[in-house]
Amino acid sequence: MMTNKKVVKKSQSTHSFLKQSPGSVIFDIVNITFMCIFAFVMIYPFWNQFIISLNKGSDTVRGGLYFLPRQLTIENYTYVFKRSNIIKGAVISVLRVVVGTGTSLICTGMLAYVVTVRQFLGRKFMRIVYIVTMYFGGGLIPTYLLYMNLGLTETFSVYWIPGLFSAYSMLLIASYMQGISESLPESARIDGASEIKIFYKIMVPLCVPVFAALAVMTAVSHWNSWFDVMIYNSSGKWDTLQVYLRKILLEADQAARLQADQKKYEAMRNLTPTSVRAATTMIVTLPILFVYPFFQKYFVGGITIGAVKG
Amino acid sequence: MKKLFRSFVRQKELWIISLIALTWVFIFCYIPMAGNIISFFEYYPGDSIFECKFVGLKYFRDLFALPGILKVLRNTLVISSLGLTIGFVTPIIFALLLNELQNRFFKRFIQTISYMPYFVSWVVVASIMFTVLGTDGIINGALTGIGVIDKSIVFLNEKSMFWGILTVANIWKGMGWSAIIYISAITGVDHELYDAGSVDGLGRFGKAWHITLPGIAPTVVLLFILGIGGILNAGFEQQLLLGNALTKDVYEVIDTFVYRYGIQLGRYSFSTAVGLMKSVFGFALVILANKISGKVADMRIF
Repeated sequence: MMTNKKVVKKSQSTHSFLKQSPGSVIFDIVNITFMCIFAFVMIYPFWNQFIISLNKGSDTVRGGLYFLPRQLTIENYTYVFKRSNIIKGAVISVLRVVVGTGTSLICTGMLAYVVTVRQFLGRKFMRIVYIVTMYFGGGLIPTYLLYMNLGLTETFSVYWIPGLFSAYSMLLIASYMQGISESLPESARIDGASEIKIFYKIMVPLCVPVFAALAVMTAVSHWNSWFDVMIYNSSGKWDTLQVYLRKILLEADQAARLQADQKKYEAMRNLTPTSVRAATTMIVTLPILFVYPFFQKYFVGGITIGAVKG
Repeated sequence: MKKLFRSFVRQKELWIISLIALTWVFIFCYIPMAGNIISFFEYYPGDSIFECKFVGLKYFRDLFALPGILKVLRNTLVISSLGLTIGFVTPIIFALLLNELQNRFFKRFIQTISYMPYFVSWVVVASIMFTVLGTDGIINGALTGIGVIDKSIVFLNEKSMFWGILTVANIWKGMGWSAIIYISAITGVDHELYDAGSVDGLGRFGKAWHITLPGIAPTVVLLFILGIGGILNAGFEQQLLLGNALTKDVYEVIDTFVYRYGIQLGRYSFSTAVGLMKSVFGFALVILANKISGKVADMRIF
């Protein structure tokens, strides 16, 4: 199927190459130029932050810093690592990603398995109960009040317990599982295997692509979320990296702290809020930028499965 | 009944998993749904709903009496309309242009780059924008350099530019991602149609116009219906991060309004009423859009 498509594509492109009209050639040139500009617009803002984070703060304020750092330094980074809780934030972020993604995949995976076992009587009921949650939600305030009443606020649990099950992921995994021949789990069942065993010994290994897609999506959303941290863990005890960056971005006392530090230590005179912020932004962003190109096929696969289903 | 009982015994593992999942969904999805009832009561935290005074539609009336509410509604509709027009068309155009690239590696490179900003959080995007749009940022530098403006503008403090900046930011962050679905729809178009088109003398533009575009039309319509249904969702994180006291008049949308009144000011019943009204209207809009497209284009989402 795949090779077939490729062959067709190839023949098509050679075909159009044979009789390219001048209009077509001009279009190609314009299109390629446009795409190059587009790539620049996508990449440059990140690059801009990157060079600012590596440039001496007192030099950056002079302006005109566009493509390469003028006065290379790593003092912005050393300041961020030394004078702040960023390492603690990073640990909490990583913990959140690992625990949140792991538990949600296990729980939702089992649920998806349950709703695909054909002989199971509660199958339809469970499906409906979950699908309803896709259309009706509680809204921000009732959810907030619930978490408060449950004592989930100011705890780490608020990062993973509310995400244990998800109707959307359930449908995604279930539709994948339904594509697997039923004789396999059935024969295991006759041999006396328990359902849990069938799930993780037979179904999970066969469903690796869909689990991978969901793992990447869940992990990225955990890494990037900041609003729930801000409202449910407002004391700052469980601040993640994103919230840490947000505080630098929007809260005045962070700038005041930098000023106080600069009065105390001679070596920090060259720092500015912009350069410290740029360094923090890079620390928050780089893990994602390094990782996403390798996982993009899972992402794209996931969105396409979802589109077919939804 | 006997059948059910036998199933409990024979499939007890499946029932145990179901029970756990049911408990969870009851607590985390159905209780908040029921919690919307506090919009009809005078609720204070710690009270049970039975102790609260029933006030009927008081909070809904309060909402319409609030002087700023029309502005909030306007901002919501303007921001999401910009997203539903400019923001809706750009991914389609991008997907079509990408499809015309001949070099496979260049094509893949551009696509990978295109959804890079989707993977970073709004906090990061906001931080980048603070720098790029700041007084010594590149935009101000370029504009003063070519003499369009004499002195730097603090773009994010300008009311008149906020909607534009927000729309550009939304497009920058989400366009590549939204384009994926169109790109996969384009790959799904039957290739024999293109060959038939060549035989009939269609050029590249003709093929794009007469074959590719009609081929992805169902996807376009589908996403547009979903977009109409979500017209009251005008974004939320980006406003909270990019907006400030000077631009409040133009950035406050329903969702940020609910957050401000509910969580920051503690007016739980009132803001729940606002949220509830928003979901009811949103749901009605989805159904309406679905009906209309069913009639007009014979396409439905459910």
